[in-house]
Amino acid sequence: MFTLPEKESRAPTTCPGSASIQDLGSSYGDGLEEECSRKPDQKLLELYGVGDPIAMFFSDSSYLSSRGRIIKWFWDSAEEGYRTYHMDEYDEDKNPCECEEEAVGVIMCASVKYNIRGPALIPRMKTKHRIYYITLFSVVLLGLIATGMFQFWPHSIESSNDWNVEKHSIRDVPVVRLPADSPIPERGDLSCRMHTCFDVYRCGFNPKNKIKVYIYSLKKYVDDFGVPVSNTISREYNELLTAISDSDYYTDDINRACLFVPSIDVLNQNTLHIKETAQALAQLSRWDRGTNHLLFNMLPGGPPDYNTALDVPRDRALLAGGGFSTWTYRQGYDVSIPVYSPLSAEVDLPEKGPGSRRYFLLSSQMALHPEYREDLEALQAKHGESVLVLDKCTNLSEGVLSVRKRCHKHQVFDYPQVLQEATFCVVLRGARLGQAALSDVLQAGCVPVIIADSYILPFSEVLDWKRASVVVPEEKMSDAYSILQSIPQRQIEEMQRQAQWFWEAYFQSIKAIALATLQIINDRIYPYAAISYEEWNDPPAVKWGSVSNPLFLPLIPPQSQGFTAIVLTYDRVESLFRVITEVSKVPSLSKLLVVWNNQNKNPPEDSLWPKIRVPLKVVRTAENKLSNRFFPYDEIETEAVLAIDDDIIMLTSDELQFGYEVWREFPDRLVGYPGRLHLWDHEMSKWKYESEWTNEVSMVLTGAAFYHKYFNYLYTYKMPGDIKNWVDAHMNCEDIAMNFLVANITGKAVIKVTPRKKFKCPECTAIDGLSLDQTHMVERSECINKFASVFGTMPLKVVEHRADPVLYKDDFPEKLKSFPNIGSL
Amino acid sequence: MQSWRRKSLWLALSASWLLLSFLGIFPLLRLAVPPRSRPGVPQGWPRWLDADLLQSFSQPGELLEDAPQPPQAPHGGSCNWGACFDTSKCRGDGLKVFVYPEAGPISETHRRILASLEGSRYHTFSPAEACLLLLLIPDTSTSECSSVPLQWNRGRNHLVLGLHPATCLRTFQLGQAMVAEASPTVDIFRPGFDVALPLLPKAHPLRGGASGQLRQHSPDPGVALLALAEERGGWRTAGTNSSACPWDGRCEQDPGPEQTHSRETLPNATFCLIPGHLPDASHFLQALQAGCIPVLLSPRWELPFSEVIDWTKAAIVADERLRLQVLAALQEMPPARVLALRQQTQFLWDAYFSSVEKVIHTTLEIIQDRVSGASARPSLLWNSPPGALLALPTFSRSLHDFPFYHLQQGSCPEGRFSALIWVGAPGQPPLKLIQAVAGSQHCAQILVLWSSERPLPSTWPETAVPLAVIEGHRKVSDRFFPYSTIGTDAVLSLDAQSSLSTSEVDFAFVVWQSFPERMVGFLTWSHFWDKARGSWGYTAERANEFSMVLTTAAFYHRYYHTLFTHALPKALRTLADEAPTCVDVLMNFLVAAVTKLPPIKVPYGKQHQEAAPLPPEVPGRGPELQPATQDCINQLAAGFGHMPLVSSRLRLDPVLFKDPVSVQRKKYRSLEKP
Repeated sequence: MFTLPEKESRAPTTCPGSASIQDLGSSYGDGLEEECSRKPDQKLLELYGVGDPIAMFFSDSSYLSSRGRIIKWFWDSAEEGYRTYHMDEYDEDKNPCECEEEAVGVIMCASVKYNIRGPALIPRMKTKHRIYYITLFSVVLLGLIATGMFQFWPHSIESSNDWNVEKHSIRDVPVVRLPADSPIPERGDLSCRMHTCFDVYRCGFNPKNKIKVYIYSLKKYVDDFGVPVSNTISREYNELLTAISDSDYYTDDINRACLFVPSIDVLNQNTLHIKETAQALAQLSRWDRGTNHLLFNMLPGGPPDYNTALDVPRDRALLAGGGFSTWTYRQGYDVSIPVYSPLSAEVDLPEKGPGSRRYFLLSSQMALHPEYREDLEALQAKHGESVLVLDKCTNLSEGVLSVRKRCHKHQVFDYPQVLQEATFCVVLRGARLGQAALSDVLQAGCVPVIIADSYILPFSEVLDWKRASVVVPEEKMSDAYSILQSIPQRQIEEMQRQAQWFWEAYFQSIKAIALATLQIINDRIYPYAAISYEEWNDPPAVKWGSVSNPLFLPLIPPQSQGFTAIVLTYDRVESLFRVITEVSKVPSLSKLLVVWNNQNKNPPEDSLWPKIRVPLKVVRTAENKLSNRFFPYDEIETEAVLAIDDDIIMLTSDELQFGYEVWREFPDRLVGYPGRLHLWDHEMSKWKYESEWTNEVSMVLTGAAFYHKYFNYLYTYKMPGDIKNWVDAHMNCEDIAMNFLVANITGKAVIKVTPRKKFKCPECTAIDGLSLDQTHMVERSECINKFASVFGTMPLKVVEHRADPVLYKDDFPEKLKSFPNIGSL
Repeated sequence: MQSWRRKSLWLALSASWLLLSFLGIFPLLRLAVPPRSRPGVPQGWPRWLDADLLQSFSQPGELLEDAPQPPQAPHGGSCNWGACFDTSKCRGDGLKVFVYPEAGPISETHRRILASLEGSRYHTFSPAEACLLLLLIPDTSTSECSSVPLQWNRGRNHLVLGLHPATCLRTFQLGQAMVAEASPTVDIFRPGFDVALPLLPKAHPLRGGASGQLRQHSPDPGVALLALAEERGGWRTAGTNSSACPWDGRCEQDPGPEQTHSRETLPNATFCLIPGHLPDASHFLQALQAGCIPVLLSPRWELPFSEVIDWTKAAIVADERLRLQVLAALQEMPPARVLALRQQTQFLWDAYFSSVEKVIHTTLEIIQDRVSGASARPSLLWNSPPGALLALPTFSRSLHDFPFYHLQQGSCPEGRFSALIWVGAPGQPPLKLIQAVAGSQHCAQILVLWSSERPLPSTWPETAVPLAVIEGHRKVSDRFFPYSTIGTDAVLSLDAQSSLSTSEVDFAFVVWQSFPERMVGFLTWSHFWDKARGSWGYTAERANEFSMVLTTAAFYHRYYHTLFTHALPKALRTLADEAPTCVDVLMNFLVAAVTKLPPIKVPYGKQHQEAAPLPPEVPGRGPELQPATQDCINQLAAGFGHMPLVSSRLRLDPVLFKDPVSVQRKKYRSLEKP
C-alpha cells in the first residue's frame, strides 16, 4: 500500500450529483479486491446467440427524460432517413415503368412490340433497306425519348408539394351569388360547450388520436348586385389554410373530417359585410348550424362599440378569436388566439438575452385613449428616465414608414427595435382588447404589462401567462411602477425568457397560431393523449435540463409486500443452488425467479432444486442474452426486484434483508451492494470505469441490486438508442446500462448498501491475471463512453455516502441489533 | 420505284405515327392517368400563383390606429375579478380574512371550522382591515340562509363559502360576492372569480385526515382495470376483457369479473369511471383517495380548485359520447402515464382534499394568489409535491430557492451553508464549536443567536468565515425564525453545547446536498405507540430505527424556518416555547409532514458522546422521558391531525466507513477515530 495524494476537491458550486472529475493518478493502488470478471470459458459459451427475438423497437419513447428524448429523436430521424433512403432504392428496382418516364416507358413498350413484329417483314427487304429502316426507327425512337424527357423532366425538379397542387390564380376562383333572402345563421350561442354543441362522433374514427380537418375550397361570394361580400382571401388567411393543409390534421375527404374550416376569410371584421358573410357561411355544404366549424378572427367588432367577438352570426361554430373578453369567451369551447403582427415577418430583431435594460417601463402604442396616456405620462413624470412613453411621430418627412417609427418629444425611435431596450412594455387595450403590440413586445423579449380588464389572453387555456407577463387592473395603472418593482430580478429574467419562448412557439407565424389552435381543440377531443402543461409552457432549455421522476410520490411501500429475486443463470447449477438457498433465508423474499439462459441444456429436474419456502419459478429464454435479466416477466408481482447473479454466494440474509429495507426508503433508486465509479480521464478526454476503493460511488452492479420493477419495463422497451442491442451483442455492461437508465430518468444517485466485501468466489485471488482484468476495465470504460454519447449527457450522479444499519459498528450489544451479520468477509 | 414507294410509305407511316404519338398519346395518357393527382396524396389547399400579391388582413395603420374609446363598464350581473374585487385593502403581508361569527344555532362542525379559521394565519378580528370577508353558509340545507350581514357592502370582497350544497345559495342576493361551493355546475360557475370546492362527504375530518390509500407506485397486477361509479353510491369493478359492458349495464352475459361494492368501500381498480351528472361528483373524492384514476365523462360540474390544479395530470376528462374510444385508450394507456396519474391523485388528495381545513385553506390561498398577481405561485408549486399549502410564495418566487424543485428545475442546492449556533441560558460562547465549524470548507458564515441573560462577550474568535451575532428574544422558537442574515440555502442548526468535528460537518453537508428537502442530523430520537397508555411516546434510547433528529446539530433547508414561523398554527409554537424539548419534536413533525419521509442520520463520533454529553436540561438522555414532555408529542399529533413522523432503519456513512483499507485512502478519516 502506498499513500495516495489528496484528491482535488471539487469546486464548491458543483452539485453532489454532478459528474465526478478526478485525477486518475490516485486510482491505481492496492487491489484489495479484484473485480471478479466473467470467466473466459463462460464468455465463450455466452457468445453464441446474438440476436433478439423479443426485442421490440418502440419508436415512441416518452418515458425518457427530455434529454434522452431529444437524443432519441435524433436517432429516430436518422433511422427514418435511412428507411426512406432504402425505400427509394426499392422503388427504383421494382417498377421502372411507374416513375416519371411513364409515358416514355409505354412508347418503348410499343416500339418493342413493333420490333417483335419486325422479323416477319424485314426478311422481305433488302439488307441495305433494313439498315436504313433500323436507323430510321432508332432516330424516331431517340427523338421520342428526347421529347418525352423534355416533356417530363422539368417537373421532377420542382418540389413534390407543387407537384401535387394545381397552380391557379385567385382571380379564377368560382363566383357564388348569394340571393338576398338566403338563410342567415343564428347568432352565436353563448352557452355552447364541447359536449353540447360539438359533434364529437365525427371525430370518432380518426386514427392516432388526431382530429381531421377539412378546408372548403375557395369561392368568391357576391351579393345580388354582384358586389363582393369581402376580400376573397387575405395573405394571412391563405397562409393559415396552407399551414393546416400541410399539417397532419388535414384531410381532403369531407366525410372523414371532424372539423371544417371555411375558406371565407373573417380575420378582420372591418373588411366584410356581416350579413352576407353569414349567408355565405350558412350555404356551406356541411354547415349544419355551424357544428364542428372553426372560424378564425383576429380583429373583431367595429365602431362604435367594438364587440369583443366576431359579429357575424355563426350559430354553433367554434371561434378562434383574438380579443375575447370574459363576457364573450366560451370557456372550453372558443379558442383565444393572438392578433398576428405582420412586423414579425418583416423585422428580424437581433438576439438579446435577458437582463436589465435601459428603460424599466416602456409604452409604445400609438393610439391610446387620452385618459390612459395621461396616466402613463404621470408615471413618466414621477419616475423620470426609467419610464418612456412613446407616441406617433408628427414631424416625419415624407416616405418614411410611420408604422416603424415612434417619437418622444423630438426624439425618434425605431419600432420595434426600441422594445428591446425595455424590461417591461405596456400593452394597453385600444378599442379592441387584443393588440398586435403584444406580439411585438414578446418578440423583443420585453415582459408585457397587460392593462386590459377582462381580456382573455391568447391560448390562455394552455399557456401559463403568469410566467411571462404581468396583468395590471386598469384602475391600478398608477401603481403599475411599484407593482413591477416588487418583482425580483431573477424572476424578471425568467419572464423575459418565457416571453421570448411564447413568441417563438406560438406567436411567430400564422402557422404557429393555426397549429396551436388545432392542438388545443385536438387535446379537448382526445384528452388522454393531450399535451401536458410542461410541454406547452417550458422553454426548450428547461425541458432539456429538467428531470421528471416517474416515481415522484414520496411513499414507503409496505414491508409485507416483499420482493422477487431474479437469478440469471447459464449453467453453474451448483453455485446457483447455493445462491437460491442463501436468498431463500431472507424473510421478505416472496418469490424466486430463475432465468435459465442456456438453450442447449435443460434446467435440472424439479426434484433436484433446493426446497424453499417461497414459490420458485424457472423461466427458459429463447436466446442467451443479458437483457433477459431485465425483462418485465409477468411472474414478477412485487414492486421490488432483487437482481442477483448465480455466483453471488457471499451475501448474508441480514445484508439482503437490510438492502430491501433500504430500497423501501428509496424505491426510485437502484440499491445495490458492489459500488462502482466513473471518472473523467483528462489525458484521454473520455470516461473511465473504476472499481477501486474509492470514496465515491456512482453505480451499483446489478449482480446484486434491488430496484423497482418499472425499470424492467423501461429497460426492455424504452432504452434509448441501440444500447439494448449493443449490450446483447457485447455480452457486457447491462448493469451499466441500467445505472444510466435509472439515473437519467430519476436524476438521482444510486444507494450503495453495506461495506465493501467479496461477493463471490472466496477462493478467487489475483490468479485471473492482470491482462484479463485490464481488458475487462477497458471494455467497461468503452461502455460508459458509448452510453454517455447515446444519452447525450452523463446522467450518473456521484455520491460519497452508503447506507448502513443505524447501529452498524456502534458500541452496542450485537444481539440487540436488527442486522448484526453485516459486512463479514 | 418499288423501293422509292416503299420508302415513302414507310416515311409517311413513321411521320404520321410520330404525329400521332405527339398529338394523341400525351393527351390520352393525361386523360387516363391524371399526373397531378396521384392516388393517396390528398389534394391540399392550392398554392396560388398570385399568393404574393395578396393583401394583408389588416392595413399597417389599422392595427395601431384603433379609434380610442373609453373603457367599457362591466356588464351588469356578471362579475369578474378585475371588476368586482377591490385589492387595495390587501396590501401587506398575506391575506387577512374576517370571518362572520356564527349567527344563531349552528352545528358542531360549523363551530369547529370557525375555530380553526380563527387559529389560522389568515384571521383578523377587524372587518375594516380585512381583505376578504368570509361568510360561511351553514350546512343545513333546509333552513333559510342567514340574512345579509352588516358589512355586506353589496357583497364586495366577500366570499360566500358553502362546503355542502346549500339550496339557499340560489336565492341569496350575491351582489358582487364570490361563491365557493361544492361542485358548481359549469353553467353558473364564473372562472377566475368563483372557487369550485370538492363535494365533501358529511363526515369529513376537520384536520389531518386519512392519508391516501395508495401503498405502492405501480398498480397491483391483479387489480381490476375499471371501477364504475354506481348511482346508488357504490362501485362496480369490471375486468379488462369486458369491453362495452360497464357502460350500459348489459353485463349479464359476463358476470365473472364483476363485483359490486357497498357505498363505503373505496374502489380497488386502476381507473374509476364517473358519469357526468352532478350526484356522481361525490365519487370523485373517493376515487382520488383510493388512488384510482378518475375518468370523468363530460362532467357538468366544475372540477375542484380547477383554477390552480392541473387536473390533466391526475384525471381524465373525456367525452361521454366517445365511450368506446375512451375504453380503448384506457386499455392502451402506456404504463408511464398510469404511474404518473396514480401518484398525482394521491399527492392531490393529501395536499388539498383530505381535511376540511385543507379545503378551506386552499380556497383562501387561491384568493391570495389572485391578489398577489405577479407574485402568485407558479403552477409547478400547486401541482407537484409538497403542494401549495406547504410552499409559501412569501418565501421566494424563484423555484430554485425552495428545497423541493431542484430536479424539475435541473438545478442543485448551493454548495455552502450557514451555521446557526443558539446560545441558551449558560451563555458560554462556544469557541471550540465555532472553530470546528468554521474549519469546514463549505461553511459560508457563522451566526450566533444569543438568547442568554448574560451580556454579549465583546470578543469573538478569529474565524475564516464571517461571524455575526443576533440577539434573540429568549424564546425557544426563535431558533427557527427566518433571519434575513441567513444567506445560504443550508442551515446547520447548533446548540452551544453541541460538539462536532470538521469532518462530521463536511460529510453531513455533502449528504444534505443529496437530500436538500430532508433534515440531516447526528443524534436521533424515535417515536412509538404506547399501547398501555394508548398514546404516542418518544425515546432517546439508541435503537435500530429512528424518526427524529435533534436540531441541536442538524442540517436543513432555510425554508423550514419560514414554514415554522409563518405556516404553523400559533398554538403549536406556543407549546414549543413552553416545553423547550418540544421544539425539536415540532420541527421534525413539520419537516416530516412536508416531505412524508424520515430524516437522515449520519455517523456521530463516539468521542463526543462521552466527552460532551448533551445539556442536562434537554431530556431524552434518560431511558424514558418524563410524562410531561411525552405529552408534547400527543398534543402535536392532535394539532397536526395525524402522526407525520416516519421511521428509518438506516444511517448514511462515508463509502469507505470502517472498511478494512488504509485510513489514508479515506476522505473522512477522522470519523473513525475510536
